[in-house]
Amino acid sequence: MSKLIITVLGQDRPGILAGVSGVLFRLDCNIENVSQTILQSQFAGIFIATSPPDTSTQSVLYHLQEELLPRNLYVHITEMDGGQEEISFPESDPFVITTMGPDRKGIVAAFTAILARHQVNVTQLHAVFKGGDDPHNNTMIYQVDIPRNIDQKSFRFELREKAAEFHLDISIQHRDIFESIHRV
Amino acid sequence: MLDHNEIIATLEMVRNEHLDVRTVTLGVSLLDCASDDLARLQDNLYRRITETARELVPCCDDVAEKYGIPIVNKRISVSPMAVVGAGFSDSDFVRMAETLDRAAREVGVNFIGGFTALVEKGMARGDRALIEAIPVALAETERVCASVNVASTQAGINMDAVLTMGRTIKEAAERTRHLDGLACAKLCVFCNIPPDIPFMAGAYLGIGEPDAEINVGVSGPGVVKKAVDRALEKDPGLDLGSISEVIKKTAYKVTRVGELIGREVAKRLSIRFGVVDLSLAPTPHVGDSVGEIFQSLGLKSIGLPGSTAVLAMLNDAVKKGGAFASSHVGGLSGAFIPVSEDLNIAEAAASGALTLEKLEAMTSVCSVGLDMVAVPGDTTAETISAIIADEMAIGMINGKTTAVRLIPVPGKGAGETARFGGLLGGSVILPVRGAGTQNRFVGLGGRIPAPVQGLKN
Repeated sequence: MSKLIITVLGQDRPGILAGVSGVLFRLDCNIENVSQTILQSQFAGIFIATSPPDTSTQSVLYHLQEELLPRNLYVHITEMDGGQEEISFPESDPFVITTMGPDRKGIVAAFTAILARHQVNVTQLHAVFKGGDDPHNNTMIYQVDIPRNIDQKSFRFELREKAAEFHLDISIQHRDIFESIHRV
Repeated sequence: MLDHNEIIATLEMVRNEHLDVRTVTLGVSLLDCASDDLARLQDNLYRRITETARELVPCCDDVAEKYGIPIVNKRISVSPMAVVGAGFSDSDFVRMAETLDRAAREVGVNFIGGFTALVEKGMARGDRALIEAIPVALAETERVCASVNVASTQAGINMDAVLTMGRTIKEAAERTRHLDGLACAKLCVFCNIPPDIPFMAGAYLGIGEPDAEINVGVSGPGVVKKAVDRALEKDPGLDLGSISEVIKKTAYKVTRVGELIGREVAKRLSIRFGVVDLSLAPTPHVGDSVGEIFQSLGLKSIGLPGSTAVLAMLNDAVKKGGAFASSHVGGLSGAFIPVSEDLNIAEAAASGALTLEKLEAMTSVCSVGLDMVAVPGDTTAETISAIIADEMAIGMINGKTTAVRLIPVPGKGAGETARFGGLLGGSVILPVRGAGTQNRFVGLGGRIPAPVQGLKN
């Protein structure tokens, strides 16, 4: 029995999830996790499934491609337990970093570089750049885990400096504030 | 994972709708600082306050940074000084006020409340000395706030104290003549004063309270106004029941912010968390006004017919939403209508839409009273006492807190403008009918007996 990571990408339309899960079911695979998102018109899904001992990864890929390629959907599979390096994350606090302001090339690269330098892990990024004056149309929302042992002051200072350089409004807030306000 | 709309909505509240925590107030008990030696007492007071509050301001700043929510004021409330300093003279009480002021400066808080006497049923020696000291104490200090509770539903109204307070207010105004009577902005006369108000000028730490406590005052009139505007824009046919729901939900959100931040500050300081005061506290800025909510609800101005009904609904919805959001609710909890501190209400007073009488009527359905109302400098002490008596009666009969913070502006008359600066704002001076006439009623003295509403046992 092996654990597979299946990635599906392509033009969104009804039936993609049904197609993937139907193939996995017929091959007696068990889906453990699914997450999907749609960006503009593009579908991206990631599935973690276990396959029975007598079913090879190649065979799962073959059947999935048979189902998905005619619909112009790209599929990729890797085995999860294949000597992947264990990455341990330091003790962290969950924060939300939000920027609003004019679109410019290189914004995401500039901010993620600071995050990476400080070992801050991004757990979700939502970025929209549609241009125009409405700040809602030009927003980045990073949900991140900030390690406790880093220099918080210089990390925040660097983010604020960068935001000023790009003329962006930035806020860095612990995620509890959002949960407190909006959830019962 | 968080919803993006929730994140954006929170940011909007902070950036454009003035969502903040209006005050984190550290209550410090001074009861065991008492001494028969003034110097030793002053030393005890100073040490107790500065040692307990040393980390308050940096801690609040850290927590504000963590959550991205401004904590506008950091303050201290102390045990009623009339009890702590009982046995000393009025001039000694002025020295104590100076010590409180010095301690407040040392730890960086902008106000310290608790220069307080509780005299609803009668005055003890300490109370009398403190009240006598109030005008000089408030004129000579910057950060000390005073309050005197002269009535309660259980005890009735101490009319001797009411008369004394009329005179005290006049003298305090006179001693700060060059500042438009600023000392009076730091002095509240109360009925049914709560022991855990975080807001100034009425904050003090009650006798039944612990050694130290963190109480939080939330704000958010701008957030409520925008929520009402958005709801009506989406559905112009919304009725008042539905609008009340919108206000309730908004009050819930605002209160949750106070609860979260108060608890975190309390935890970091290892001090017990007390209460959240569920209040709509305005500032003299556009977009942070209780008066503007009245306009969103269809009145041309606060003060015009319909205002009492709007305020009743607003106050109730704030309480309902806030009570669910907080584990412990206390203080004043409701909508504030301080005239000079709310730009829109000050404008209503200037335009003539809002009168003293209408303000008084409105205080029967909200959480405070005649707050930050500038009146002509020639208003007599007896007339001020009579206004206080009326306001105390509203609180006593309705079993609620009412307070009076009147400023008889020396040398100025109705229609002129008084300016107090900062968050205290400024306002036109409202006329007082019969301001100069004799008032024998308040001179009759004694106590107005407690009403039957107080007989609950």
